Amino acid sequence: MAYNILTPKACEILSIDKESIHEWTFRVATDVHPKHGQFMQLSIPKVGEAPISVSAQGDGYLEFTIRSVGKLTDEFFNMRPGDTIFMRGPYGKGWPIERFTGKHLVIITGGTGLAPVRSMLNILDSDMSKVESLHLISGFKNEECIVFRKELDMWKNRFNTTYTLDNEEIEGFKSGLVTKFISEIPWKDFNDNFEVVVVGPPMMMKFTGLELLASGVPEEKIWMSFERKMSCAIGKCGHCRIDETYVCQDGPVFNYTVAKDLVD
Amino acid sequence: MNKDINIGAVRKNCYRQSKVDGEFMLQMRVPGGVIKAEYLKMAAEIADRWGDGNFHMGTRQTLDFTGIKYEDIDEVNKYIRTYIEGTEGEAGVDMDKVAGKPEQWDPEAGYPTIGARNVTACIGNVHCICGNVNTQDVAKKVEKLVFPSNYHIKCNVSGCPNDCNKANMCDFGIIGIAKIDFHPERCIGCGKCVAVCKHGATRVLSGTPNGIPAKDDCCCTGCGECVRFCPTGAWTRNPKKFYRVIIGGRTGRQTPRAGKVFLNWASEEVVMGALANWQKFSAWALDYKPMYLHGGHLIDRAGYMKFKEMILDGVKLNPECLVAERINWSETEYRSNFSVKAPADHLTAGPGSQDSH
Amino acid sequence: MSYILNQEASEAFFNELKKTYTIYAPKRIEKAGRYSDTDLIQYGEVQSFAEIVFDKKSTFPMKEVINPIQQTLFYYTEEEFRESSGPKKKILCFGRPCDINAQKIQARIYDGKGGFVDPYYKRLEDVISYVLMECPQDSDSCFCVSMNTNKTDNYVFAIKQTHDGLKIAVKDDHFEPYLQGAPITDYTASFPESNDLSLVVPEIPSKEIQNELKKHDVWKQFNSRCISCGACTIGCSTCTCFTTRDIVYSENSKAGERRRVSASCQVPGFDQMAMQKEFRSTAGDRIRYRVMHKFHDYDARFHEGHMCVGCGRCSDRCPAFIEITSTVSKMAAAIEDIKAKGE
Repeated sequence: MAYNILTPKACEILSIDKESIHEWTFRVATDVHPKHGQFMQLSIPKVGEAPISVSAQGDGYLEFTIRSVGKLTDEFFNMRPGDTIFMRGPYGKGWPIERFTGKHLVIITGGTGLAPVRSMLNILDSDMSKVESLHLISGFKNEECIVFRKELDMWKNRFNTTYTLDNEEIEGFKSGLVTKFISEIPWKDFNDNFEVVVVGPPMMMKFTGLELLASGVPEEKIWMSFERKMSCAIGKCGHCRIDETYVCQDGPVFNYTVAKDLVD
Repeated sequence: MNKDINIGAVRKNCYRQSKVDGEFMLQMRVPGGVIKAEYLKMAAEIADRWGDGNFHMGTRQTLDFTGIKYEDIDEVNKYIRTYIEGTEGEAGVDMDKVAGKPEQWDPEAGYPTIGARNVTACIGNVHCICGNVNTQDVAKKVEKLVFPSNYHIKCNVSGCPNDCNKANMCDFGIIGIAKIDFHPERCIGCGKCVAVCKHGATRVLSGTPNGIPAKDDCCCTGCGECVRFCPTGAWTRNPKKFYRVIIGGRTGRQTPRAGKVFLNWASEEVVMGALANWQKFSAWALDYKPMYLHGGHLIDRAGYMKFKEMILDGVKLNPECLVAERINWSETEYRSNFSVKAPADHLTAGPGSQDSH
Repeated sequence: MSYILNQEASEAFFNELKKTYTIYAPKRIEKAGRYSDTDLIQYGEVQSFAEIVFDKKSTFPMKEVINPIQQTLFYYTEEEFRESSGPKKKILCFGRPCDINAQKIQARIYDGKGGFVDPYYKRLEDVISYVLMECPQDSDSCFCVSMNTNKTDNYVFAIKQTHDGLKIAVKDDHFEPYLQGAPITDYTASFPESNDLSLVVPEIPSKEIQNELKKHDVWKQFNSRCISCGACTIGCSTCTCFTTRDIVYSENSKAGERRRVSASCQVPGFDQMAMQKEFRSTAGDRIRYRVMHKFHDYDARFHEGHMCVGCGRCSDRCPAFIEITSTVSKMAAAIEDIKAKGE
């Protein structure tokens, strides 16, 4: 039978890392090498299929950080290392790494929005020569929701980091929404040689975008990754369409000049 | 003027006594609640020429004219001949039979009997988006079976379980219901049917993990709301027509009550077959001495078991048809323990039952 | 060449065709309509010419033949996904010009434009040929002439029903042998030249106006009219959206099917992700999304005209009598309103 792009391939779960009660990271065996910011369609027979962004990758594996929010994701939480899940992809356009090279990079994330930039952060963590500097603002709702604690600690030593919780202050985490800390980024020192990455829930991205503009950041320098309902990931099913844009094909990463008009 | 008037005979002729001495109200039958609009010209003529110029819509869908003088009744009866022949003729009624027995009708003498009472119907699926059956056709078929007769029955036909025509409040109520077919290959799992069934019907649908609704067939009321709202045609009405028959509902001074289900998922043949036994049952219950007494009371006197036996005599039930094994009536007793009375006062049916009356 | 066939000859021709083709056409399903004692006319496999409904527009569109409401993509067990099998025979599909033109739009979504060919669409598209049913123009809700979909040359032969048979104009010579010896006539298919309804689709001149239009009050009137049932999109000849759904066989809960099931952007939850609120939460939002897709967004992406063939089924099927040309006219007025305010 001819190649069928929709056929999910069986993959073994290698390990499961519990980031928080609701967010677990699954390491899955595969030879696929997605670009940073791309996503895969993960499925479990009987339950269904969903787009999940790649949160890390390495030799022979990909990692997915999954939040238990629905029928499919809940089912993932019943799986153990050695179990089989199914996968197809990668899909979508990832981060424009080439545009970030040699620049000051600012990454602002909300909650699990950290996942789609995690693989990029890990690369930079091992090779900072690619960028001039890296400022990371990562916000979480509360202590329970913090993910990638190990990496957050690691990145603290390497990047300029600000970690926040919405309404409380604990060691290593300031209190307040990420937007509050945008003014602390030394924009002037960047000499116009910078790019900004924003990922998180829709409201967080909207207000972060507005705050960045207010801080004088030009639209072309802002990049966002969208998350939408999808069934196919190949521009057919229609669920992710916003106006003439299909998030699965044209995104999920968009420049703000496009993203600002992507109002559902 | 001589006021020696046989009120009973006039009433049987469909003229109702007025509080004004010597005046009457003519009630003309409208089988199934529908007549050609041209008859309304006749109605206007009757009201203007013999009545007080007013027209009343009867509570059982009759055309009523007040202020008819007793001495004009013969003339009015001659005038309404074409109306009776037209409307009853259209229903296929044999006017030369009373309760199925040959009895020559004088076409110039108005209605031969006031029983059965006018068979009413909602507009039904001729017009209504909810209707499951053609209530007008059904009502006319019923008319043919129950009129003319000196036995009384109030029969209401409703096109769907919404029962706008109050089949639940008459002696023999007929409700058009639909068996619903499901075509899972057309279901998109939108949940509209589940929502409308919950909101407007008996909550027999629920969502399933497969996205396809699950149905509690047993409790489906047969309204067809799922069909009406399904965007894909995944639910359709079975082309065969089905009926629910409600018996024993009534208003009245003594023991008003809502009717109870007698038959469910009955075919038209079964409904008409049962009604065809109505005259026989009434005659037996009243020991062949007709009274101005409605059918529900006769069911009470005979008891449901006897009624069931007689009314279903010779009727071949369709395979889907369900019959009430027994009926637990719940009446409004205006007076507590209304039915608790001396054995001699108990009402009975059958041979000898009417001797003391 | 064109031929004239009586009833008997028509059926004989049909029986010959059936040897090579599976034949799909609109057929009548008695008393299965939305309202009691009304019929549905629905596409399905037909066994004789007599079954085909020529004189009345089908209730549901032709797209169901090639993009059915439900289709099995895979059979799965816990270990593997096995692709479902495709058509076993070539397909002949009977349609009116609007129906046939709608397939171009279906194909635009499902074929390789944008990089991905949908294998399920493709395997049907590869074996399907269209038979043109001359449109008797029985419906007053159509506006194919306005959408430029009143004509087509994408057919193998054209058919007109006569009182006792058919007239056939063969376009694809491959079908000539079937008709050898039949009486010849000068029949050629005619196409609708005008409709009761017409529609001028307004231009949306800029991104700013597009954004303003999305926020415009014009859509709010539908909040109290539209019941968000999705009948318009299921009736639509060109709507393509679907959801993937895993069906579990109850007898053996470890196996089942992964199906593609039509989805409607008008039904609540279409854009909803788990544990998040809907992006388009009102009926007005959803109508805006659908109407702007049909009459702007699709063209803005593919530059091949609008995503509507004017078949009028969305209006026919709407239980709330929301009529599409009126809705587009309201959108046009809103655009003018935005322009005037901007001046």
